[in-house]
Amino acid sequence: MLAVTRSEWTKLRTVRSTLWALAFTVASTVGLGVLLTWLEVSRWDHRTTAEVAGFDPLLYSLAGINLAQLSIGVLGVLVMTSEYATGGIAVTLCATPQRRLLLAAKVTTFSAVVAVVSLASCLVAFSVCQPLLAARVDGLTLTDPGVLRAVVGGAGHLVLIGAIAVGVGAILRRTAGAIAVLFAVLLVLPGLVALLPSPWNNDITQYLPSSAGVAMSAHVRFPNLLPPAGGLAVLASYTLTVLAVAMLMIERRDA
Amino acid sequence: MIEAGELCKRYGRTVAVDDLSFTVAAGQVTGFLGPNGSGKSTTMRMILGLDAPTSGSVRIDGRSFRSLRFPLREVGALLDAHAVHPGRTARNHLCWLADANAIPRARVEQVLAAVGLSDVAGRRVGVFSLGMRQRLGIAAALIGDPNVLLFDEPINGLDPEGILWVRRLLRSLADEGRTVLVSSHLMSEMALTADHLIVIGRGRLLATGSVADFIEGSAGHHVRVLTPDAGALATILRGKGATVAADGPDGLSVTGLESRDVGILAAGAGLTLYELSTQRASLEDAFMDLTREQADFRGGTGEPSAFRAVSAA
Repeated sequence: MLAVTRSEWTKLRTVRSTLWALAFTVASTVGLGVLLTWLEVSRWDHRTTAEVAGFDPLLYSLAGINLAQLSIGVLGVLVMTSEYATGGIAVTLCATPQRRLLLAAKVTTFSAVVAVVSLASCLVAFSVCQPLLAARVDGLTLTDPGVLRAVVGGAGHLVLIGAIAVGVGAILRRTAGAIAVLFAVLLVLPGLVALLPSPWNNDITQYLPSSAGVAMSAHVRFPNLLPPAGGLAVLASYTLTVLAVAMLMIERRDA
Repeated sequence: MIEAGELCKRYGRTVAVDDLSFTVAAGQVTGFLGPNGSGKSTTMRMILGLDAPTSGSVRIDGRSFRSLRFPLREVGALLDAHAVHPGRTARNHLCWLADANAIPRARVEQVLAAVGLSDVAGRRVGVFSLGMRQRLGIAAALIGDPNVLLFDEPINGLDPEGILWVRRLLRSLADEGRTVLVSSHLMSEMALTADHLIVIGRGRLLATGSVADFIEGSAGHHVRVLTPDAGALATILRGKGATVAADGPDGLSVTGLESRDVGILAAGAGLTLYELSTQRASLEDAFMDLTREQADFRGGTGEPSAFRAVSAA
């Protein structure tokens, strides 16, 4: 396992797409957080009463995660599909014929990288955005109740999306198809479910991967969103299911 | 040693490999010969555990490939020179392979030097020519210093110097006692490179044996005799079990006897010979003979009028 993981780490850090995708992840997490926080501060006196009542000082700091999950998703898909696109999967399997071990090593390595990058991004986004709010309201610190949990939850959201992406890549083996499926589930499905008659729309929405992920980094309880632990449980279940299917398929199919 | 036993591979109703059994021995270069689409690559993929046989099995030194913990140290393979991420440098490509089987990084520089890629090791593979990619693929196959080596069409895209280099490399690997299996559709190349041949067509085993036996056993191999006493000589030779056919007014084409025996028999009977020669079939002839019925894609045997009619329409 150690050798395979080391090999996958070498693979990951020696292609440029990794660097670009991770740079985009950091930039979008921090950049979008700053932009949205700044917008909120500048329209502070024009907010509706409902907005004032539902204000969460953490919400905009971590909003960039929604954009960052796209670059993490694409990179996760590419971890698998770039091997199939070039035919390099044959070379990989000639070095590591234990296919489930290989997939486990890929998921582990990629998840570790995403964990480090997204945790750093979320911490930076938090530390940059809170002082911006200070002009209007007391900013939060990491030691405030629930704050650290929300920041770590935001990073965890990205880690699980990344692991799902690797799994989808392993199942579909085609870059375009895997990215299309992943984005359809993360971006299109919520819009479609919202069109269902009430209360089905809200009942179902909270169990979608996108909502479950957002719930992980929520600092206050939002309607139609699971509590953080519930969000984690739901998204982790999706992740494990996708990876279990991927394990079965990579073991059985011809490479 | 590689042992394939009754290997079959079906894709739906298409049979790619059909009841194929063979042994690839250590210490010699074994050529794996067949027309395009005859199942060579599929067989190699089954040897390497990439594709699962529909039935049958294949063992490498007694074990299945997928049971090997660090296979690169035991089996090296070059399947497709293009199967490399174009954005990675040659050195980094070999580094991740070395890492995967806990092979020291120092070995990377060794194999880069061995294939003559040291100077371009820092360049991205995307800018490599096919010949450079073949060299990189060979470096990858050698990285674990394996005892068993498989090369699928290794000379594709190589210049004459590169071809010579590959030939010498295969020879030296075999001389070191390793098992070397090389696939090719180029019979002339195999005549120069291989000691032993496995010939397949449409997924079936057509012939196996030494290169020399292969040529001997082919229909084109015969003794040509020119004599004014063709009738008398033919009777004598037939009496010794040879097959004799007329070849021109004074000529005979003899199979089943060596030219030496024909000469002795003719002298014994006091017959005059104008010419006595062994006609060696080229490996090409022998190969064409064997695969005539099996070739999937054959060039048209001349119906230009039909072609013209289509073009004109």
